[in-house]
Amino acid sequence: MPLTYDREALFDRFPLASKSKNLSHLFDPRKDIPKSSFGVRMVKMTDLPTKGGFSFDLCTRNQMLLDKGVQMPPFRKTGTTIVGLVFQDGVVLGADTRATEGPIVADKNCEKIHFMAPNIYCCGAGTAADTEAVTDMVSSQLQLHRYATGRESRVVTALTLLKSHLFSYQGHVSAALVLGGVDVTGPHLHTVYPHGSTDTLPFATMGSGSLAAMSVFESKYREGLTREEGIELVAEAICAGIFNDLGSGSNVDVCVITKGQTEYLRNYQLPNPRTYISSKGYSFVKGQTEVLSTKITPIQSKVQTVEGGDAMEE
Amino acid sequence: MGDSQYSFSLTTFSPSGKLVQIEHALQAVGSGQTSLGIKAANGVVVATEKKLPSILVDETSVQKIQLMTPNIGVVYSGMGPDSRVLVRKSRKQAQQYFRLYKEPIPITQLVRETAAVMQEFTQSGGVRPFGVSLLIAGYDDNGPQLYQVDPSGSYFSWKASAMGKNVSNAKTFLEKRYTEDMELEDAIHTAILTLKEGFEGQISGKNIEIGIIGADRKFRVLSSSEIDDYLAEVE
Repeated sequence: MPLTYDREALFDRFPLASKSKNLSHLFDPRKDIPKSSFGVRMVKMTDLPTKGGFSFDLCTRNQMLLDKGVQMPPFRKTGTTIVGLVFQDGVVLGADTRATEGPIVADKNCEKIHFMAPNIYCCGAGTAADTEAVTDMVSSQLQLHRYATGRESRVVTALTLLKSHLFSYQGHVSAALVLGGVDVTGPHLHTVYPHGSTDTLPFATMGSGSLAAMSVFESKYREGLTREEGIELVAEAICAGIFNDLGSGSNVDVCVITKGQTEYLRNYQLPNPRTYISSKGYSFVKGQTEVLSTKITPIQSKVQTVEGGDAMEE
Repeated sequence: MGDSQYSFSLTTFSPSGKLVQIEHALQAVGSGQTSLGIKAANGVVVATEKKLPSILVDETSVQKIQLMTPNIGVVYSGMGPDSRVLVRKSRKQAQQYFRLYKEPIPITQLVRETAAVMQEFTQSGGVRPFGVSLLIAGYDDNGPQLYQVDPSGSYFSWKASAMGKNVSNAKTFLEKRYTEDMELEDAIHTAILTLKEGFEGQISGKNIEIGIIGADRKFRVLSSSEIDDYLAEVE
């Protein structure tokens, strides 16, 4: 009987298989080649090696699993409140420090303000891995560009590199960024969305806490803020996100970028300290825990030493 | 690639066991402008002649000494365009290393990878060996280091080395002048004197280039006015 690549026909041949929810062991989504009942993938003559770049195979697999009803585990997202504003001498960026995995706080003090260039920093919201990877990659590209041109990197360069990368992945790279910096053309602040669109704004907020932070900005922002006013406003906006949004919390990170100087103020504010920590510590004395049963298995050595073998030949 | 006329390697063994193309490549290096490097106790200095083909060339647009990473620099003798290709590849490799290990690439690793590229071009189809020798200078956790990489892909660590036209005179001069406990400033003076030895014409900040790296681990190329200051000290 000839091999068929038709799924329905295969269900007829292997009726039990159709009952299992997960059929990925039977199908190689890459080429739609069914595996034999021994689980060996039959290779076509024209099986070419993948050429590099992102492989969407797993995305196809994930979609297939979803259709079958298998739930995806939640990503570690950054929840997040990230903000940026332009003040008279440059830009101030701010971020909270909570990273969530569904309802659990995965990291109480993570760094969301990423280095792009000595004069450009980027806050990231969305999937933590995506923001890290994309900012690292663009930072690397900017460094190579600096060597090639011999000049300081420009914010629009970083912006274009980010947006073209995100657009080519059609929103699958879940990174929402607030990009800010100062270059020869002046201070710049942009937001970048996962699908690759960008905005240029005097003040911006992103993440789950963006509405809380934006309410602060909309009522208090004005042009020509001084450095102290700018930092204070950013900290206030992040705090609004921290206290009013579940996805944001812990501490406030601030980064001030001006012409010729950048200050990364890690943990600028710590509004959520652990107040009730026992200074005496905890002691666990032997005998406090009730022993229900004891079983001791002695470890037997399986290594046998044999004395006196022949010396190796030269 | 496959069946073209040039899919075989252009570097093939001669009956005496030599790779003639590499010998010729070394000739190309030997007829290039002199360059040298000196490893001091607290840094490294590299220097090269910058003879331009005509007085009409804008000398500010030419820079022979390049940075590969903030703490590793390189100078070449031989064909300039070939060195550009190598510098570009090495910069990219340094970035890839950093992205993988989150550590600035150690000099030995970068030298090894650059040398591997150069060797590749002696054993691939349809390409010729690079017509440059590189002097790679840097300062990392293992201290100041100086490496020379040849068109064959072999590399050596040197305390002081020279390449190009005036190599034998320069090396003899360096052998006499080199001391283990040289400071960076002394090394710069020695480098200038070595270049002066075989220099045709009037030496000045405009027709030589000097790159230095000290304990601050920041490689930088000296400006022509700084070079003029050093030249005045040496007089």
